[in-house]
Amino acid sequence: MTEETTEENAIIREMKHLIGKNVLESEVPRPRRIFILINKKVFIKTIRYLTKKMGFSHVSTITGADVGKEIEVIYHLNRDGTIELSLKIRVAKDKPVLPTITDLIPGVTLYEREVHDILGVIFEGHPDLSPLILPDGWPSDVYPLKKEWTIKKIQKKVTKG
Amino acid sequence: MKAVMPYPTIRIPFGPQHPYHIEPEYFMFEVDGERVIGVKPRIGYAHRGIEKATENRTFIQNLYLIERICGICSHAHTTCYTQAIEEILGAEIPPRARFIRTIIAELERIHNHYLWFGLASHEIGFDTLFMYLWRDREIVMDLLELVSGNRVHYAMNTIGGVRRDITPEIAEKIREGLDALEERMKYYKKIAMTEPTISKRTVGIGILKPKDAIALCAIGPTLRASGIKRDVRADDPYIAYDEIPFKVITYDGCDVISRLFVRCDEVFESVNIIRYAMDHLPEGKIRIRVPRRVPEGEAVSRVEAPRGELIHYVKTNGTTKPERYKIRSPTLGNIPSLCKMLVGEYIADIPAIMVGIDPCFSCTDRMTFVNVNNNKQWILSSEELRRYAIK
Repeated sequence: MTEETTEENAIIREMKHLIGKNVLESEVPRPRRIFILINKKVFIKTIRYLTKKMGFSHVSTITGADVGKEIEVIYHLNRDGTIELSLKIRVAKDKPVLPTITDLIPGVTLYEREVHDILGVIFEGHPDLSPLILPDGWPSDVYPLKKEWTIKKIQKKVTKG
Repeated sequence: MKAVMPYPTIRIPFGPQHPYHIEPEYFMFEVDGERVIGVKPRIGYAHRGIEKATENRTFIQNLYLIERICGICSHAHTTCYTQAIEEILGAEIPPRARFIRTIIAELERIHNHYLWFGLASHEIGFDTLFMYLWRDREIVMDLLELVSGNRVHYAMNTIGGVRRDITPEIAEKIREGLDALEERMKYYKKIAMTEPTISKRTVGIGILKPKDAIALCAIGPTLRASGIKRDVRADDPYIAYDEIPFKVITYDGCDVISRLFVRCDEVFESVNIIRYAMDHLPEGKIRIRVPRRVPEGEAVSRVEAPRGELIHYVKTNGTTKPERYKIRSPTLGNIPSLCKMLVGEYIADIPAIMVGIDPCFSCTDRMTFVNVNNNKQWILSSEELRRYAIK
């Protein structure tokens, strides 16, 4: 099988056809795995197309990662249990806002709340972004998975209050 | 016009400490009479901050940490971890190691399903069956101890292979144990099919329609009991599952008893997988040496844990420690479905439905950060502690 004919590459081609240059990076590291970084502008359009038209109806989870000046939010989408497509979107660290996708896929409610808890990403339109995993009374400005919050610093802050 | 006074609904807190479950988790139920009309989960009581902790440990140290995410599916977590790291390293583990990993994974599944069936019968008040099942669970625990030296945290996986071999003598003992386990599970399945104590509490209870199961991203036996054929072992094969024939079990009852039958039949499949794997166990080394430093990269690793799809995401930065490690355990993925199942059911059925997804809150709460209460204990001086006590 040549590289061009695999299903994974066909998916990337379809994505490029849909949103063109807004596909910033794409990679197929091994069979059944795809990583795509897209522009935040076309996020809802892309995710609607992927879930409704291309069959990526299962969201395995949502990962949030601190990548320096930005926060990378990764949606791990899955088609028929086989191909795992990791759709990445980067948002600014000082204004981390993304639209919610709970209206498209109700199963992501808790995953969005988790990313909100640990990195402070605000999912606009989410029905309830109250703390899920962090304790009640947790300081509102401490997002434990941001790199600037080292374990020592968090301990100092949390035990003082 | 006659004014109708609406009946007030009542909110019942369930947990974090509750006789039903040994693990601390909180659910707020809104009830109208005996019916549940709303559920609000609040997890995080067993939150230990493992994701943050992984960033401060080397890849070898993390192996020990990740083993301890869960006491039941510890092998599933380390399999997921090691194959993610091996993928970034580009290391191909020896075939014998892949088969041994598969054997342990399936023994773990048998253990989990026996344990679960016992707990489920306890929840519906059938304690005799619970005792029998947990007695027979000892057989598989003894086998795991024989292979690995441990009953719970097997510590079989390492980056680059497995740590212990399965000798022909051990294989013979495993075969004997499997015969007993298969025989007993056949008997228990027969009980589940004929005994009214079970059927009265489980048939038609906790319905999850296939449409909802997909929308709410349900996984594992919960999803397969709603008639959807999805199993990471078959769909996205890892370790040795692409070389071993097996069936994906589905039932379409969508209720608690279907979840029970799925797990019973999965035990039979696991027994067959282990027998096949031992018959076809390749010769050769069980591990290869890998570098301590992992190059820059990222990987998504998936495993079918006994409770469902387990997914790990790792990002590395070229040092000996990961840049970001993300874990999503099966229970978290099934909580939205659980809330859906509970709505409209009787309060008395809550435990039976909850146990239906096989919840493991120890896995679910693993994320992000160090336990605040523990930190307080370490950091406070005795004087501060005394003042705190008086306050």
